Amino acid sequence: MISRRDFLKRSISVWFLSLIPVNFQGPVLRPPGARRDFLARCIRCGQCIEACPYDSLRALDVTSGGLAHTPYIDPLKTPCYLCQQRGPDGKDRPVSHWLRCGEVCPTGAIRKIRNDKEVLARVPYEMKIGTSVLDRRICLAWQYDSCGECYYNCPLRDKALRDYPPNEVIEGATGIRPYVDPEFCIGCGMCNYVCPVKEHIARSMMDRSIKLTWFEERYAAMVRNLIGSAGKGVRLPAIRVTMRI
Amino acid sequence: MPEITGHKRPKAVYPRRLIQVTVLAVLIIVPMLTMNPSEWSPSRIVLGHLPPPSVMDISGDTWAFTIKGFRLIHPIAFLEGVLSSRVLYIPLLVGAVIPLAITLVLGRVFCSWLCPVGFILELNQRLNGLLKKAGLNHHIGIPDLRYTLLFVMLLLSFFLSTPIISAIDPPHVFGRELMYLFTHRMLSLSGMGILLGILAFESFSTRRAWCSRLCPSGGGLSLLGSRRLLRISMDRNLCTHCGYCNTACPYNLEPMGLAEEEKRFDWIKCDNCGLCRDSCPTGAIKYVVKGR
Repeated sequence: MISRRDFLKRSISVWFLSLIPVNFQGPVLRPPGARRDFLARCIRCGQCIEACPYDSLRALDVTSGGLAHTPYIDPLKTPCYLCQQRGPDGKDRPVSHWLRCGEVCPTGAIRKIRNDKEVLARVPYEMKIGTSVLDRRICLAWQYDSCGECYYNCPLRDKALRDYPPNEVIEGATGIRPYVDPEFCIGCGMCNYVCPVKEHIARSMMDRSIKLTWFEERYAAMVRNLIGSAGKGVRLPAIRVTMRI
Repeated sequence: MPEITGHKRPKAVYPRRLIQVTVLAVLIIVPMLTMNPSEWSPSRIVLGHLPPPSVMDISGDTWAFTIKGFRLIHPIAFLEGVLSSRVLYIPLLVGAVIPLAITLVLGRVFCSWLCPVGFILELNQRLNGLLKKAGLNHHIGIPDLRYTLLFVMLLLSFFLSTPIISAIDPPHVFGRELMYLFTHRMLSLSGMGILLGILAFESFSTRRAWCSRLCPSGGGLSLLGSRRLLRISMDRNLCTHCGYCNTACPYNLEPMGLAEEEKRFDWIKCDNCGLCRDSCPTGAIKYVVKGR
């Protein structure tokens, strides 16, 4: 045992550690239901990452400083599937009663959300992952009338992503004209994931090392045309999830 | 001098090894079961293949464990969670009750009976002994810094609102690395650095130096279990002063001192592993249930 005096002395000698900045990480997409004090509550137990049925949640690494091992979603790698499984009939079935990450979280850093499409479409703004934003200038559906992947794959189809914007008159529309309703969009990133207007497709023309899947090959020629004509200053893909704040 | 009889009683090391191996197996099997197999298949576009729902209700490691909605929270995880969030979340408290009760009654048994890293380091003591014989071992005279580190880290986690012990606690790092390995097919640099660093440190320095001098969560469990009921006791009439218990004690606590008049034994650091009891040829050392 050590004396109380020594204990205090040693404690104070490491006090300068509190000057270390904690956060080296820019904003990232957090799991659905993450509270405002998410980072303070999260005890880095990793259960949400383990429980996620699609392994959509990833962990930040040590370069993020004190935020290491907290969960985030990279929609370009794996979007949040909102714990739904799409059957061969095209209908989604919930795989659990609650969204899994909120169900296992022991500290309440991620709140429980009931896995029901009516509830998911109406989660309050503070509990959303983010909100999708569509750039019509580089959208295949809006420019070439030849896409609609985001509309068909959206888990909250016809609520969060609608065909045709309300109160707008568009002439000559034959295909899908996707429109994001920010009130219902939970920011799962599925549209971000399936959007074919991606950077590597544009680059695959010059760089032969990039192999495209059949899905990407289908849209590749149009995507190259579109990105070439859009010029600089556009951010890809055409529909992106933006951070909550 | 009493005659040394072949004193036969069940050794504490057998149930202990059983529990340690079980914990290790659970830590490996749980992430394997919950792994999403579709990440291997390149054909997935939107639909996914999922693990069966029956195994999806089990997750976690020694830091926080959930099975069918029933939680177990490491007492230090609870303490740090409360301090860094400044909120007392009732499910967290409920999950911490059983581990806290075990620690208060039985002492720091987590370290000796459950901790996967403690298990590996216990097996590593053999390597430590070999290196000592080869003269490669360096005695590092560091004092017991566990309480200091615990105190500083808890205060920092309170002021920075960022849990720190959660990031570096070795058993949790171990479980988390296994989880990353099976869910995302990767290992984290920091975690492997901590684990391999501790392994190298314990191999080339004093026996069990991390566990007995540096581990902050182990220090916290020691403090929580300092007024425990289960202790070892020495029967002075049976003790032959052979010194086997002093050799067996992984933390060099010298349990033979209990036979002396003035008791100089670090009760707080003792984690009830029972190795001194098993090594005693006359059966002088026993587990007893008593208060302070």
